[in-house]
Amino acid sequence: MIAVSIAAGSLIIFADRSQAADRDGGAQLAAMCASCHRLDGGDGGIPTILGMSPEMLTRAMLAYRSRERPSHIMRAIALSLSDEEIATVARYLAALNRQVRP
Amino acid sequence: MKSWTRREFGCLTGAMVLAGLGPRSAAGEASARVVVVGGGIGGATAAKYLAASARTIEVTLVEPKPDYTTCFFSNLYLAGLCSLESLTHGYETLAHRYGINVIHDFVTAIDPIAKTVGLRSGRILPYDRVVVAPGIAFNYDALAGYDEAATQVIPHAWNAGPQTQLLRRQLESMEDGGVFVLVAPPNPFRCPPAPYERASLVAYYFKQHKPRSRILILDAKDSFNSQDLFLDAWERHYPGMIEWLPAQFTGGIKAVDLRERSVKTASDTFKAAVANVIPPQMAGQLAQQIGLVDQSGWCPVDPITFESKLQPGIHVVGDAASAGDMPKSAFVANSQAKACAFAIVEALTGSERVSPHLFNTCYTFLSPDDAVSNAVSFKPAAGTIKIIDNFVSQVQESAETRHRAAREAQSWYAAFTRDTFG
Repeated sequence: MIAVSIAAGSLIIFADRSQAADRDGGAQLAAMCASCHRLDGGDGGIPTILGMSPEMLTRAMLAYRSRERPSHIMRAIALSLSDEEIATVARYLAALNRQVRP
Repeated sequence: MKSWTRREFGCLTGAMVLAGLGPRSAAGEASARVVVVGGGIGGATAAKYLAASARTIEVTLVEPKPDYTTCFFSNLYLAGLCSLESLTHGYETLAHRYGINVIHDFVTAIDPIAKTVGLRSGRILPYDRVVVAPGIAFNYDALAGYDEAATQVIPHAWNAGPQTQLLRRQLESMEDGGVFVLVAPPNPFRCPPAPYERASLVAYYFKQHKPRSRILILDAKDSFNSQDLFLDAWERHYPGMIEWLPAQFTGGIKAVDLRERSVKTASDTFKAAVANVIPPQMAGQLAQQIGLVDQSGWCPVDPITFESKLQPGIHVVGDAASAGDMPKSAFVANSQAKACAFAIVEALTGSERVSPHLFNTCYTFLSPDDAVSNAVSFKPAAGTIKIIDNFVSQVQESAETRHRAAREAQSWYAAFTRDTFG
């Protein structure tokens, strides 16, 4: 009984930590996007990536990586990120509310 | 509990993006102190991402000037295409939205043993980590006849602000038919394509207002960044207007004569109506003063944390850093500053850090609606930083592609300066 609750407890801690790691990792990767894409929902020419579904963003990144969509910058970034990193940042950005800052 | 109006919530969103990072605790429980020295792109970005990533870190930014004028895009100002005000950014948002303690003062000393930063006002700031981003200094010893006083007659205009205004005024008052002599520096220097972008945009200005004028580039080098793209554009937009003389042709630049407003090379003397001398460069003066500089004149750094290889606990980002293959550009300074900030947050709070992704992007204007871009990715490897991929515009691109790049560059400027200062 004790062993079971310890196991359950450590599972919860593990789940918390991995969520925190995903959030930190997502935010750190998103910081890289912020050099060109405003992360406040504003657009101003370079399209916003806030609130995009993770599937859509992942598809776009893979299209840049394969040269199907042309862009020097996005190609360099898509090639630099692993599939897992793309998934992490896509989940993170999708979770942010799209709000325009005045 | 306060209920947020939609507008207030919107105001906070940008900060919340970053506040998602790092461990959370109630405000006022600051347990570590980071001092950032220098409020250019590297310093401002580092301060912002440190402050936003961990509420347990108290961030102080020390910068003498009340605001910062970007050197990137200042060639558009020289061509009369934008105002200097539109390139100038204050520190209010960093102070108010991110809680950064912004101090306008000069740093006179950094003591790595006592871990303190000393200011001209006499204040002493204790730190756990310090980030130094002093930018560039000019090596006036390298060019006979050109020193700091001479910059008031023949500007370098390589730090944006009064120098850029002086050069613009001289170009405006120049008579049609004059020669603009631009002296391009040896490697490495801030923003490799920029002297040639400057020649392009001054040529654009001449074409509109002083069509008989010419531009002569006296180069300390035998080749330059994106040379094929520039030579092609000069032929298309400004035929016969720009002449480039490499060092192998002139024998190198020897001296500047202020009174004659001329530049002497080993083979000849070139008289200018307006001259712009961009001197050889090295790490900013503070970096030299506190022992961060090696024999190259720049600051060697750890490729992952940007901690100085010479002074532990002191990090160096931006133009002053010697970071392997990374060129000296605003984008690089911003990219390095984020990697450095996350490494410091990890060291001070124990939070997790993803492996750094480092990039450079440059937009370069050949004319107001003809721009090129390049994008480079880098990775820390074998104690230094190596290029992984490099994508550049090609000579054969369509006018539409170039026009699109020019529009994208303008959008990029707005987003990038917001990422740094807002």
